Amino acid sequence: MLNLYDYIFYFFAIVILGSSFVVVFSRNIVHSAFALLFTFFGVAGFYVLLSADFLAITQLLVYVGGILVLLLFGVMLTNNIVNVEIKSGTMQTLPASLIAALIAGLLCGIFYVSNWYLVPTTPELLNNTTAVAIGYAFITTWILPFEVASVVLLVAMIGAVIIARREKAPEVE
Amino acid sequence: MLEQVYNSLQFIKPELILVGTLLVSIIVDLIFKNKKVVVAFVILGLVLSFYYLTFLNSINQLIFFNMYAIDPFAYFFKIFLLVATIGIVLFSVLSKEISDLKSREGEFYYFLVALTIGMFLMTSSTNLIMMYLAIELTSLTSYMLAGFMKEEKSSSEASLKYVLYGAFSSGMMLYGISIIYGLTGSFDLLAINMAIADGVSSLALLISTVLMFVGFGYKISAVPFHFWTPDVYEGSPISVTTILSVASKAAGFSMLMRTAKIMFIDPYAAPTVNDWQIIDSVPIVEILTILSVLTMTLGNLVAIWQSNLKRLLAYSSIAHAGYLLLGVLTMNNEGYSATLIYFVTYLFMNVGAFLIVMLVSNKLNSSDIDSYKGLGMKSPFIGVMFALFLISLTGLPPTAGFVGKLYIFAALVNKKLILLAVIGVLNSVVSLYYYVRIFRNMFLRESDIETPEIKLSLAEKLLILVFAIPTIGLGLYFAPLVEFAHASVEIFSGN
Repeated sequence: MLNLYDYIFYFFAIVILGSSFVVVFSRNIVHSAFALLFTFFGVAGFYVLLSADFLAITQLLVYVGGILVLLLFGVMLTNNIVNVEIKSGTMQTLPASLIAALIAGLLCGIFYVSNWYLVPTTPELLNNTTAVAIGYAFITTWILPFEVASVVLLVAMIGAVIIARREKAPEVE
Repeated sequence: MLEQVYNSLQFIKPELILVGTLLVSIIVDLIFKNKKVVVAFVILGLVLSFYYLTFLNSINQLIFFNMYAIDPFAYFFKIFLLVATIGIVLFSVLSKEISDLKSREGEFYYFLVALTIGMFLMTSSTNLIMMYLAIELTSLTSYMLAGFMKEEKSSSEASLKYVLYGAFSSGMMLYGISIIYGLTGSFDLLAINMAIADGVSSLALLISTVLMFVGFGYKISAVPFHFWTPDVYEGSPISVTTILSVASKAAGFSMLMRTAKIMFIDPYAAPTVNDWQIIDSVPIVEILTILSVLTMTLGNLVAIWQSNLKRLLAYSSIAHAGYLLLGVLTMNNEGYSATLIYFVTYLFMNVGAFLIVMLVSNKLNSSDIDSYKGLGMKSPFIGVMFALFLISLTGLPPTAGFVGKLYIFAALVNKKLILLAVIGVLNSVVSLYYYVRIFRNMFLRESDIETPEIKLSLAEKLLILVFAIPTIGLGLYFAPLVEFAHASVEIFSGN
């Protein structure tokens, strides 16, 4: 018997699947970008259902509020990007869809038959905010990955600047 | 808890120094117009890191809440990586491609440091999240370095291909990691090992293992995840090609070996040296065998048709990954130490071969095999040295390459994997064919066009000798190397 929780889950699942189809199959890049909004929103909904409140808010702030808006700005402010014919033809449709279907079937299959590790849930775990625990974990158990992530981001940032920077034309000697 | 963080810090001094070097060089690069200052800082940082690393030789400990292993195995690879990086920094100083970068030259060198940090983290991580972050750090810097000559179309193309393949394979790897987490409830390799030994759904475990191996396979450029390799090796600056083919491959291997050893060995079985008890639910040896045979066979067969030396060496480095996997799949101490020995010999011969290709292309602006016609007669020093590296890459005595192959094949024979040893030897025979082609062009063919004699500076000659002497030396006197390799696989943290 489906209860309210299940209905909400399926609602978000349909939102995610439907909008990600539009992201992939739409020929218009602006439509794809807007559809991505709903995908991110749906994922945030999943996080709420899993009582991961901090993660849900971060998802909204970072992905919906930041990355997606930036993406839209990029699309809209770049000359010609809407008009340019982006090569989006598909090749080898039949073998590709066969392999994709096979992999999808296999993955769905293992999700049904496997015994998954279940975290014991307690009322405290479900009702308290996770922000405190996450903050605590970041400076204790997970401090090394946390710090390494900052190095990764630094390198990615400098790298992006180097790639994007316009070089002066080489001086003719 | 903070106590443990504080205690852990003393064990990651080499890494901390590298991060410090990275940060300082970024600022130094902004201040000084003369980019040689950055090079000096980078070399200083690498040497200092090496100095602090040598204090960690006998430590065997898990730090940062079991995230990071400081053990002889990681120590071996870190020494290897630092030697390779210092070698490649010196190598780049001589490279025309790099000094032509002018104002961006400094950035190239501190990205090499960032790459080293990533590879250090790869060798020591014992936690799937840490491993993923380390792979990302290594990959991001590699993409950057591959596309560093962005005015050149081939370099940008190499970088873009690398990014696309990299993004795809790290996506697969993350998916595999998420399934493993779902099955075992942990990211820690040791905890995952316990959970697997206690029994998890084997089909899901198999699929997640395969997905994770996509990530590893991509880093070590094993077939069928090798498609990026020839294009990236051809398009990147040669110094980057070299570091990708040696250091980044070593880091990938160390991670693969650590994961295979910790995750899939039965923790309840009595510890044995020569036959590790593998948990039967995952066919890890079979997966590695398939990868290995495909990798060396395809690498060698395709290398025959290549006429560009960078591409040829790219395929030969794929083939070498296959030989190295032979050592891993024996899954015992002997095979593991054979892999380490092979890596050291591979470092010297491969970097040496690339160095010569770079010096020749500095002068002739070509890496085509036809431009090597008559080279051996006109520039005998280059000819003889290149011949030496190629003999070693084939695996003929009295060079280091022979010793490397010998230990790998011996490990296979002792494990009664005769068929695989035969396949390995047959592959070496195939590789002889295309290495000899270069030979023949250098010594037996007259050049059609007037190739100028290649004059080398003293520094260039010295650097060639730095790689040539160990290539010969390790072929004749290898006892210390073998001992070091044996000691390095003796104890794995947590085993």
